[in-house]
Amino acid sequence: MNTPTKFWNPYLAGFALGLVLLASFLVMGKGLGASGGVNRVAVFALDTVAPNHVDNTPYMARLKSGNPNLLDSYFVFEILGVFLGGSVSAFAAGRLKRGVIRGPNITVGKRLMFAVTGGVIMGVAARLARGCTSGQALTGGAILSVGSWVFMLSVFAGGYAVAYFVRRQWT
Amino acid sequence: MTFPFSTLINHSEFSLIAAVVLGFFFGFVLERAGFGRATKLAGQFYLNDMTVFKVMFSAIVTAMLGLVVADGIGLTSFSAIATSAASTTYMWPMLVGGLLLGVGFIVSGYCPGTSLVAASSGNIDGLFTIVGVGIGSLVFGEFYPSLESFYLSGDVGQFYLYQWLNVPQAVVAVGVVLMAIGGFVGAEMVEKMMAQKNHQRPEPSPKTPKRLVFATFAGAATLGLFLLLIPTKTQPIEARSVATLSAETLAKRLLDEPWKLFVLDIRNRADFENKRIAGSQQSDPDNLKNLGLAYRSGTQDLVLITTDNTVPPEVLHYPGNIYTLAGGFSAWQTFALEKPKALSPLATATERAAYAFQSAVYAKMTGTVAAPPPPVATGTFKPPTKRKGGGCDG
Repeated sequence: MNTPTKFWNPYLAGFALGLVLLASFLVMGKGLGASGGVNRVAVFALDTVAPNHVDNTPYMARLKSGNPNLLDSYFVFEILGVFLGGSVSAFAAGRLKRGVIRGPNITVGKRLMFAVTGGVIMGVAARLARGCTSGQALTGGAILSVGSWVFMLSVFAGGYAVAYFVRRQWT
Repeated sequence: MTFPFSTLINHSEFSLIAAVVLGFFFGFVLERAGFGRATKLAGQFYLNDMTVFKVMFSAIVTAMLGLVVADGIGLTSFSAIATSAASTTYMWPMLVGGLLLGVGFIVSGYCPGTSLVAASSGNIDGLFTIVGVGIGSLVFGEFYPSLESFYLSGDVGQFYLYQWLNVPQAVVAVGVVLMAIGGFVGAEMVEKMMAQKNHQRPEPSPKTPKRLVFATFAGAATLGLFLLLIPTKTQPIEARSVATLSAETLAKRLLDEPWKLFVLDIRNRADFENKRIAGSQQSDPDNLKNLGLAYRSGTQDLVLITTDNTVPPEVLHYPGNIYTLAGGFSAWQTFALEKPKALSPLATATERAAYAFQSAVYAKMTGTVAAPPPPVATGTFKPPTKRKGGGCDG
C-alpha cells in the first residue's frame, strides 16, 4: 500500500479553512457548526424511541416548535457534508481505514472509554456555551464576538489544565 | 451591501445544498490539516505539535480579514454578518462551557467538529466521541430546568471586541493579525524547544507557505485600514437620502414590530421627559458621536425625532435605513397624543377605519384604556417554619 499523502502545511490549511468560513458568511450569513447538528441528531434518535419524553422536555421540544421534522435543519445537512468531505479527503489521501487512534500504552477499550467520556463532557459544554470550537470559537472568533473569544481562551485553558492527567493516553 | 443574498438564504433547497457543500469543504480541509487524528490534536496540549493553534488562528484571521475587506469595498456589512452569525454573549456559561469543552477535548482527543472528521475517516474513537457528544447534549437537555438560571447569566447581548474597544473593525483586525503572527512565531519556538527536550528532530516548517500566508494577511490588513481612510466610503454617506415616515406609519410599525425600530429622539431632554414616543431613546445632538452609530448592526430602522427634521451628519453613518418623522415631533403629538376629533355621522368607511386606528393609538400611547377590573385576592398563607440553627444571627 502507498504511504498516505502528507498533511497540508498548517498555515495553508488554516487559510483554506478561513476561505470556507468566509464563503459561509457571505453566502449564508452564518458560520460553521458541529455540536448543534449533533444535538439535533441525538434528539431525533431519542424522539424515535421516546417521543413523549422529548415533547415533555422543554429544551428538546423547543427544537420541534417550528418544524416537527428534527433533521430538516441547516446544521444537520452541514454535518452530513462534513462527513462526506472528511471521507473523500481521507480516501483520496490513502488514510481511509478503520482503526483506533491511541498511544502505545493504552488499550483499545480504555481509549474508547476516554473518547466517549470526553464526548459527554463536550456535549454538555457545547450546549452550555451555545456552540463548540466550530460554531463558537472559529465562527464567533472571526466576527470578533467577545463571548466567543472568552470561550476560545477557556477551551485552551481547560485543555492545558487537565492534559497532564490524561497523558497516558498518548505516550 | 450585496452579500448575503436574502432570496437565496430564504430558499430552503438552496440553503440545504449550500449546507452540504460548505460542510463538505469544512470536513475536507479539517481532514487535510490532520484533524482526523486524536494524537495530532492532543499534541497541542503537550506543546509538541501546535497545529491546532496555527490552523485555527490562520482560519480566524483569513475569514475576519476577508469580511473587513469585503465590507470596505461595500460588498457586505461586517456588522450585519456579525449580527446574523454570532450568538449573544452570555459571559459565565461561555467561560465555564469553554473550560469544560477544553477538558472534554483533551480527554477524548477531539472537539465535536473534528470527531466527525475522525469518524468519517474510519477512526472508531472519533465515532465514540460523537456518541458521547450526543449523549452529553441530551443530558444537558434533561437538566436544563435546573441549569437555566446559569445558562442565562452574564447576558451582555451581542457584544463585539470593536464595540468594547470602540474602534473600527479594521483596527481590531490589525490587532488580531499582529497577535496571531506573534503567536505563530512563539508556537514554532515552543515546538523547537520541545523537540530538543525530547531529543527529536523538530518537524520542518517550510518558509515559502509561511511567507505567502503571512504576506497575504499583512496585505489584507493594510488594505482594510486603507479602505477605512479613503473617502469613497464617506461619500455615499454624505449623499444618503433620508426617507420620511408619516406619524400613522410609525404608529403602525411601533405596534406591529417595535423590535425592528430604533427611535432616536434628539430634542432636548426636558421636552423629551415631558412628552415622547413610547420606547424611544433620547440623545442631545452633541452626544451623538458617543453613541457609536456607525458600528451598530443596522438591522433596525433608525427613526430620528427632531423638531425641525434636520439630520445631523453623525446619524448618517448609521448602517441601516434612516427615517425622519414627517412633520417632526409635533406631527406625532397631533396624531397620537391628542384625542382624535369626533367623527361626523357622514364619515366614509375609510375615515371610520382611520378614526378607529387613531383612537386605538391614542389610547395605547396615552394610557387612556379603561383600567382592568381590580384583582380578587387569592392564595393561602402558611406561616414559615422557623429555621433552626445556622446563620450569623444564630
